[in-house]
Amino acid sequence: MYLDLSKRLAIALPLAALAFSLANSQAAANPNGLIALYDFQSAKGSVVTDRSGVGTPLNLKIAKPASVQRSQRSLKIVRPTIIRSDKPAKKIIDSVKRSGAITVEAWIQTAKLGQAGPARVLTISSSPNERNLTLGQDGTKIEVRLRTSRTSNNGIPATATASRALNTKLTHVVYTRDRGGRTRIFLNGRQNKSGKVSGDLKKWNGNYRLALGDELSGGRSWLGTYRLVAIYSRALSASEVKRRFDSGPKASSRSVIAQAEKHPGEVMFENKIAPLIAEHCLECHDTATRKGKTDLSRKTTAFVDDFIVPGKSEKSVIWELVQSDDMPTDRAPLSAEEKKLLKQWIDGGAQWTVDVIDPAIYTHKRGASQLWVQRLTVPEYIATVKATTGVDISNEAKELLPKDLRADGFSNTAYNLNIDLKHVSSYAKLAEIIVSRMDVMAFTQRFHRSRKLIDKDNIALIENMGKWILRGPLKGHETAAFRGISTTVMNVGGDFKEASAHIIEAMLQSPRFIYRIEAQQGDGSIYPVGEYEMASRLSYIVWGASPDRELLKAAEESRLSDPGEIAKQVDRMLKDPRAITRSQQFISEWLNLGRLDNMQPNPKKFPNWTPALGTDMRAETLAFFKDLVWNQKRPLSHLLNANFTYVTPRLAKHYGIRFTGDSLERVELANVRGRGGLLTHGSVLTIGGDEASMVARGLFVLRDLLRGAIKDPPPSVNVTPVPAKAGLSHRQIAKQRVADANCGGCHVKFEPLAFGLEKFDGIGAYHDIDEYGNRLREDGEILFPGTGKSIAYKTSAELMDLLAGSDRVKECITWKLTQFALGRPLGPDDARVVDNIHKSSQENGGTYASVIKAIVLSDLVQMTRTELASK
Amino acid sequence: MNIRKASRLSRRTLLKGLGSAAVGLPLLEEMIAPSAVAAAKDVPVRAFNIFFGLGIPAPLQNEGFSDVFEPLKPLKDKLLIMRNVDHVRADEKGINAHFDGASASFTAEGPDGEAKSGGPSIDQVVRRTYHPNGMPAGMVPTLVAGTFFRRSRVSRYVHSYNADGTVAAMMQERPRDLFERVFGTIDTGSSNPKRDRLKRSVLDTMVDQYRYFTGANSPLSSASKARVREHLDRIREYEERAYSMKQLGVGAPPRPPRSKLAHGGPADPGGEGIDMALDDLTSEWRLLADLYALAVETDRVRFGALTFLAAGERLRITGDYKYDGRLIHRFDDAREHNASGSKGCSHEWWHKFKEKNSNKQLRAHAHMKLNEVAYFLKRLDQTREANGRSILENSMITISTESGDGRHSDVKRELSGVFHAITGANGRFKTGQIMDVKSEGIDVYNTMLTGMGAKDRLGPKDRKQRPVDKIRA
Repeated sequence: MYLDLSKRLAIALPLAALAFSLANSQAAANPNGLIALYDFQSAKGSVVTDRSGVGTPLNLKIAKPASVQRSQRSLKIVRPTIIRSDKPAKKIIDSVKRSGAITVEAWIQTAKLGQAGPARVLTISSSPNERNLTLGQDGTKIEVRLRTSRTSNNGIPATATASRALNTKLTHVVYTRDRGGRTRIFLNGRQNKSGKVSGDLKKWNGNYRLALGDELSGGRSWLGTYRLVAIYSRALSASEVKRRFDSGPKASSRSVIAQAEKHPGEVMFENKIAPLIAEHCLECHDTATRKGKTDLSRKTTAFVDDFIVPGKSEKSVIWELVQSDDMPTDRAPLSAEEKKLLKQWIDGGAQWTVDVIDPAIYTHKRGASQLWVQRLTVPEYIATVKATTGVDISNEAKELLPKDLRADGFSNTAYNLNIDLKHVSSYAKLAEIIVSRMDVMAFTQRFHRSRKLIDKDNIALIENMGKWILRGPLKGHETAAFRGISTTVMNVGGDFKEASAHIIEAMLQSPRFIYRIEAQQGDGSIYPVGEYEMASRLSYIVWGASPDRELLKAAEESRLSDPGEIAKQVDRMLKDPRAITRSQQFISEWLNLGRLDNMQPNPKKFPNWTPALGTDMRAETLAFFKDLVWNQKRPLSHLLNANFTYVTPRLAKHYGIRFTGDSLERVELANVRGRGGLLTHGSVLTIGGDEASMVARGLFVLRDLLRGAIKDPPPSVNVTPVPAKAGLSHRQIAKQRVADANCGGCHVKFEPLAFGLEKFDGIGAYHDIDEYGNRLREDGEILFPGTGKSIAYKTSAELMDLLAGSDRVKECITWKLTQFALGRPLGPDDARVVDNIHKSSQENGGTYASVIKAIVLSDLVQMTRTELASK
Repeated sequence: MNIRKASRLSRRTLLKGLGSAAVGLPLLEEMIAPSAVAAAKDVPVRAFNIFFGLGIPAPLQNEGFSDVFEPLKPLKDKLLIMRNVDHVRADEKGINAHFDGASASFTAEGPDGEAKSGGPSIDQVVRRTYHPNGMPAGMVPTLVAGTFFRRSRVSRYVHSYNADGTVAAMMQERPRDLFERVFGTIDTGSSNPKRDRLKRSVLDTMVDQYRYFTGANSPLSSASKARVREHLDRIREYEERAYSMKQLGVGAPPRPPRSKLAHGGPADPGGEGIDMALDDLTSEWRLLADLYALAVETDRVRFGALTFLAAGERLRITGDYKYDGRLIHRFDDAREHNASGSKGCSHEWWHKFKEKNSNKQLRAHAHMKLNEVAYFLKRLDQTREANGRSILENSMITISTESGDGRHSDVKRELSGVFHAITGANGRFKTGQIMDVKSEGIDVYNTMLTGMGAKDRLGPKDRKQRPVDKIRA
C-alpha cells in the first residue's frame, strides 16, 4: 500500500513547487567563495564588467582601448596597456583577509613565451615592490607572489611552476593558497607545483587596486588573451580545479553568472509579485480552491481567459478587479503601492519564473532578513561549559538562567534570545561556580606549562586558553584585557592560580563565550564564513555545543573551507552522543513536547490522566525518534508511519496495548489498530485539546508537516466551536464547516487531515464510539498543498503511509530542521538553497544525518550574509 | 521633584501577599524621600502601556460610564477615552486574531514573527527621545510586568518593544521577580576588598569586550550590536547594584512571598485554560500593580508596560465579583458555558458576543478588568509631584487592549473600535472626555508622540501623517 500510494502522490505533486526570490539570494550566485568574475562577455567598450554578482561589482577600465581587441568572451591585449579598477579591490581584500585563503583562476593565452618580470597577468598591488598578490608570466613559468605575515611586501619568496610549463595555447591557470599556507599551481586541471607560503594574510594592504595586463605603476606589461578571470576567497580543491578545467571557460561563466543575467522582470516577479499574489489572491484562487474557476498559483492557469495579459494591464481582468477594489473580496484592498507594482509588472511583460507560487515561502518575509547574533540557549550554554571546562553546570544553569522562550516554533530563534539583568547576574554566578569546580592548575597546564605571571608566559597562556574557551584566536586587545586581570591579581598579592581562575571567570562571561560572534559587516553581499566561524557553526548545528579540538585544528589549518573535509567532520561528529541529544532537542521543539509537562485535561472528562502519563508520552516520542533515526538510520519521513513505538506499562494501558514489560520498551504495532507513526503518539494527539479538535489537529498537520499556509477565518463567519452531541460527531461538525460556502475554502485544506485521527480522544486513547455514542471512523481524504485533487484514504494507517510518502512532508521536515539548525525563520531568499538541501538529502536517503550534512554543506551554512558596513 | 505625599503599598494587598509576619511598611517613607528623584527640578517624562486582554466590544463603549466603563468613572477627569480607534492595518493574514490585535496595541503594527512586533511601541519611542544614551544610573530602563496566563506567543502579553521590534525587556510575571528586578541588590559574596577588586577587574574586562562589539570596529550587524549593547547596559546595571547602589536595598519593602498562582508552562496547559478564583487573581495582580507603582513613585522606572491578562486569555474564573459594595456577577465560567477545557473559559463570552443580547457575562468580565486597571491608575494618582499634579496626570499612560469585537469573524470589526484611554501627560493631551476619534491607531499614536516631543514616528517613513489634533490639549 505504501509504495502504491507514494507513486500516486508523486504524480499528484510536482516537485518543483517552489517560488524563489533570487535577486537577493546571492548564496546561489556565489558558490564556492567566488568574489570577482570577469568573463569578457562584451565585445566592445572600455570596461570589463565584474559579473560575480557578489557585492558591489569591481569593474575594470581599459586604459588604452585601442591596445586591446575585444570579441564576445575574450579580450586580447595586443599592445601594452593596463586594465584596472578605479578603486581599491576592497571586497577581494576584505574577503581574503577574513578567510586567509585565495584562488585565482584564469583562462589565458600568452602572446609570446619570452615575457618576463614577471609580466602581470593579474595583480593586486601598487608598484613593482608593493603587492598583496601578483600572478604573472616569467618566460615559460607562471609565478605567483603573495604577501603574508611571513613574506615580504613584494610577496617574496614567490611560488612558480616548473620551466616550460607554459605554452602558447589557451591555458587554464589556477593558483590556490589555503589558510594553512599550502600553495598549489594547476595548469589545465593538473597540479604543476605545490609549496608552502606560511603566515596569515592580515597584512594585506586595503588600498591596492586590481589590474590585468600590467603593474599599477606600469613597466611590467603582459600581452595575450583573457577568456576568464575569477577570484575566490578560498582554496579550491584539486578535484574542483579539475572540474572547472573540464567544463571550460564558457561553461564556467555561464553557470556562475546565471543569476546576474536574470531579467529585471523576473526579479520583480520573484521579489514583489509572487509574494503579493500569495498574500492577496491564493486564499481563494489556488489550485485547491479555484474560486471563480481561477487558479493564480500557476502560470498555466493564471494567463488564461485574459486574466493576465502580458504588456497590457488595461486588458487584464486581474488589473480591472484589483484597481476597482472588487478583489480581494471581503479583505482589505491592495495598497496604492501594491497596485502600482502589479500594473508595472503586467505592463512590463508579466514575467513568471516558477511552476507554482507557494505561499508558505513568504510566511517570514520580513523577520528572516535580519542578521542577529545568536546567544547560546540554556542547553547550548550547559553543553558548551561541559565541553570547554568539563564542569556539569546543568542544574544551576536551569535554575538560574531565564528560560528561552519559543518564537516561530523554536526556542533558539536568535531575534528572541534577549538579555536581561537576570542573565548577567546568572552568568556571573555560574562562572564563579564553574571555576570553583575546576582544577584550575591542571586546566591551565593544557595550554601553557609555565606558571609564571610574567608577560611572555601569561600572555601565551591567555592566548592558548582563550582560543579554546572562546572558540577561536584572540585579538590583541582581548589578550591585553585578560592580561589586565592577572596584573590586578599580582597587584593585590594574588598568585597564578588566583589569576587564572579570574581570567577563566571573565572568559566565561565574555561576549565571545555567551554569543556566537560572527563577522556580519561587509558590503551587503554574501561572504564565505571564516574558518573558526565554520567550526562553531558545525559544532552548534550538529552537537549544540562548542567545537572540539579536532574541529579547531581543522579551522586552524584552513581545512573547513573544503566541503570534503566538512563532510568528513560531520560524519565524525554524528557518531558522538551529543549529536543524538541535539536531534532530540529538535524533535522536542518541533513537536513542542515541553507542553506535556503542563497539561491539565479536564479531570471529569479524563479521570485517568496523570502528569506521569504526559511524561511517558514524551519519553515515547523521544525513544521512538532515537531508535528510528539513530539505531535504524531510516529516512525521517518514516517517523510518520513506522510500525513500532515505545511504551511504559502505564502508557500501554492507556493505549490499550498488551505489554508485559516494566519500563519504557519497544513494542511492535503490526497488530495494534490505529497506532503507528508520530501522529498516533499521545504527545502529538494531545495538540487537539480536550475535545480532540479537528481544527487544531488538522492545522498542526497542515502547518507542521505539510508546510501549508492558511489564513484567518474570512469575515462574517461565526467561529464559535460547535460541541459534539449524540448524533453529531466531530467529523460531522467538521464536514458541515467544509461544506459551508464561507468556511469550506480553507477548512477543506486541513480538517480532513485530522479525519484519520478521529478515533483518538483528547488525550490519545483509542475508541470506536465517542462519549455521546457516535460511531467513529478513520477514513478521509488528504489534499496536499499546491495540488487540486484530494487523495482518499480508508484507514489512519493509509493516511500515515500517504504522509510518509509525500515529498511535501519530507520537504517540510527539511525546512524545520534547517530552521532549527540556523536559529532563525526561513524566508523567500532561503527557498532555493533549502530546496537544494532537500534534494541532496533525499538523494542520500533522507535520513537525519543526510539532512544535517546537506545543511552544513549548503550556502546557508558555508556563507554568511553581511550588512553594509556603516563606517 | 518633591514628593509631597509618599505612597505605600496597599496594606490589604501586601498583608494578603506577605503573610502577617513580614510587613515592613514604615520604611517605605525613608526609601522614597531621599532618592535621586528628589533632586530633579522638573517632572520627569514617563510613558507606560497598560494592556488588558480580550477587549471591550465597540458597541459597549457607547454606554458612557453606566456599565462597563463604570470603574473608570472616578478617574474620568484624568483620562481621555477614545472610541473608534482602528488597527486594521495590523491584520496579518494567516495569523491568530488575538496576536495581531495584541501586537498592534501601542505599536500600530502587526507582528513580525511570533515574538516580534513590526515596530517599536510608543513608550520606547519616547524613551529613546529623552534618553538616547540610556537611563540614569539606578533606573530600570524598561519595566515589563504582568499578571497573565496564556503565553503561546510573546506578543500576547509583552507590550513594550524596541525599535527593531524585539521585546524591550524581560517579562516579570511574579511579584517577587518584579521586586528583585527593581529593588534587588546583588550580593557579590563578600565584603573582602581584595575580592571585590578582583571581581571589579573581571567586570572591567567584560565591559571592555562588550563595548568593543558595540563600537565602530565591531564586526556585528546593527541588530546584533543593539543586542550586545543591551547586554552591556545590563552589565553596567549589574555593576551598579553589586558595588555602587547597595544602599538601595536599605529600607526596601520586604521581599514578596513566592507566588501561589501558576506561572510559566503550567499556566497555559496547551491552550486549554486553567481554573482561577477571582480573589486569587486580583490579589496577585494588585500586589504586582502595587510594586510597579512603587517602582514608578521611587523613580526607579519611567518606561514600560503592565499587562492584566493576556490576549486571548483562557481562564475559568469563579467567585463573586463585587463593585462598590454590590454584586456585579457571580463568576463561574465553566458552569455557565456548560463546558470544560478551553470552551469553558471566559474567552468564549467574547466569541459569543452579539449586540442584541445582554452579554452579561462579557460585561461583567470587562467591568472587572477595567476595575483592576483602574486600581493601578489610582495608585499612581495618590502621589503628587512638584507641579501639583499626580504621577498619573504627569505620565503618558496608554491603556488599550487587543480587540474591538472578539468574535474573530471580521477583521474590520475585530481590529476597529479598539478601546483606548490615555492620561494627560502633564497637560499635553485632553482629558475628561469620551471622544469619538475615528482614526487609525497609528495616527493617534503618532499624534501622541508629537505631543510628547518625540522625534521618531511609527509606521512607514513615506506614509502621509494624519494628525489627530483634537486629542491634544
